[in-house]
Amino acid sequence: MSRRKPAEWPMVALLLPVFAIILGPFLWLVTSSLKTEAEIGRGDPFALPKQLMWQNYADAWNIGGFGSLIGNSLINVAGVVVLTLIVCAPAGYALAKIRFAGREWTFYAFIFGLTIPIQAIIIPLYQVLFNLGLINSMAGVVLAQVANGIPFGLFLMRSFFLGVPNELSEAARIDGANHFQILTRVFLPLSQPAISALLIISALSTWNDFFLPLVVLISPGNQTLPLGLVRFASTYSTDFRLVFSGTVITFLPVIILYILTQRRFTEGLTQGALKG
Amino acid sequence: MTRLTTTADPADLRAPAATRRRRADGARDGFGAAFVLMLPAIALYALFSLTPILLTIWISFTNSGGFNTEANFVGFDNYLRATEDPIIWPSLGRTFLWLFYHVVLAGGLGLALALAIGRLSRTRVFFRTAFFLPHLVSLAVVGVIWANIYDPFYGLINTALTQWGLAGWAKGWLSDPLLVLFSVNVASSWQGFGLYMLLFIAGLQNIDGTLYEAAEIDGANALQKLWNVTLPGLSEVMTFVLSLAMINGLKGFATVFVMTNGGPFYASEIITTYIYRLAFQAQDHGLAAVLCILMSVLAITITVAFNRWRARKSS
Repeated sequence: MSRRKPAEWPMVALLLPVFAIILGPFLWLVTSSLKTEAEIGRGDPFALPKQLMWQNYADAWNIGGFGSLIGNSLINVAGVVVLTLIVCAPAGYALAKIRFAGREWTFYAFIFGLTIPIQAIIIPLYQVLFNLGLINSMAGVVLAQVANGIPFGLFLMRSFFLGVPNELSEAARIDGANHFQILTRVFLPLSQPAISALLIISALSTWNDFFLPLVVLISPGNQTLPLGLVRFASTYSTDFRLVFSGTVITFLPVIILYILTQRRFTEGLTQGALKG
Repeated sequence: MTRLTTTADPADLRAPAATRRRRADGARDGFGAAFVLMLPAIALYALFSLTPILLTIWISFTNSGGFNTEANFVGFDNYLRATEDPIIWPSLGRTFLWLFYHVVLAGGLGLALALAIGRLSRTRVFFRTAFFLPHLVSLAVVGVIWANIYDPFYGLINTALTQWGLAGWAKGWLSDPLLVLFSVNVASSWQGFGLYMLLFIAGLQNIDGTLYEAAEIDGANALQKLWNVTLPGLSEVMTFVLSLAMINGLKGFATVFVMTNGGPFYASEIITTYIYRLAFQAQDHGLAAVLCILMSVLAITITVAFNRWRARKSS
């Protein structure tokens, strides 16, 4: 870029108040979470805590059972991410690289699902899960979330595979490889960008999902983090120190993970969203 | 491209025999191999997406009064009841208002920040990372956070206003029926704008730098460059973000559910929260299914309209 850039500081000065407003809620939550209940009750949001009350975190962690909530959420994310890749990669390959009658028709049938919101099919979805004995089970949530993510994942993998030159698969085919071998040995090693995009998007949306877990996971011991926090916050709604520290426990791990992997994360998310 | 693979392709006839045999093999096993590879996707999708879509249509024509209950065909009864329901139409109106707020607040902020950050070099990654942070938080958790921010006595907003001597501006952000939908939407949009910002930044990077140079040679000022180069260059991303924001707005549920549960007195009830109420509390599945269909039709309309618009613009 040879283009002359104007000085940077006026824009930075302009952005700083915006920065304060947008990140203010985080800062307020973290400082309040380290106050005593009496300090919070004084109603001065800019005052710092006299003494850092780390005890709030220990109390919230124990009372809210955040250990098991985080565990459940991790199982949920792992299940969805792994299954989504296993299901979407072969299907995306088939729709991109195998010629068969009715291919377009199949593709559009899948894409149709991309437009239907999950809330709009929730009644029979609940009934189907119930009939399969999957209500109140993590397996039920995982299967429904994977199915819900199939149109997007398949679309993403297909558009990536379409960009892979046919010569590669034809060469492997001459060597006697079948489609499954071509997929796992030729295509998947090449598809790291698409795989990480799909991984990031499905992990984030699963970790943050609320509607399906709300409907399916009934007993507190099975619930995921967002669901557990909402229950915790309404049970202890007058115990601000607990609600604040519980909330920080909920969002801090993801924020740290994001800051550590920021460049890759942004790349994957943007590319995935633009392709999808 | 779908081709009838059994008919001979002229290219095949000219190809050496070995290639011809290979192509013919590929054509023969094409459907079988494709089907096997797609089977897990087809099975899950059919069971947990397509079947529920079809069943929703069926339920809308029955008098189903709850899960695992007997339901009979009642024709268009539920549709007639929907037209007379006192909550559906105002909820639908609020859903449109909610969509509009989200597009303006989250889409507008995303665009403005992308334009502001796009010019930076040394601090760009810092601001991009910082402004994206709210998007990492689950909307349900955002609901918990903002319910506390809006708390009339201990919340960030009212206590800050009091500290600054602006106690008169303090409000019941979630209890005032005229304010509540907007207040909750601010929380949702705070979470939503980061993704739109990233998409706009990606769009900015795709604009040909020589266009700016040409504009500079023509003596264009910053505003003229923005208007004549940047914004037209972003138009494709803009239509995409617009459709994404509308669909996200339509699906909005968690913040409302957590912060107000549709209240006070239905003042923040939108289509999704009403579906949830009808399906899981009132157990009026027939009426809920009508609303589900209405919601699907809205989603399909938005998607199709934007795809057509994009196709027309790019042709």
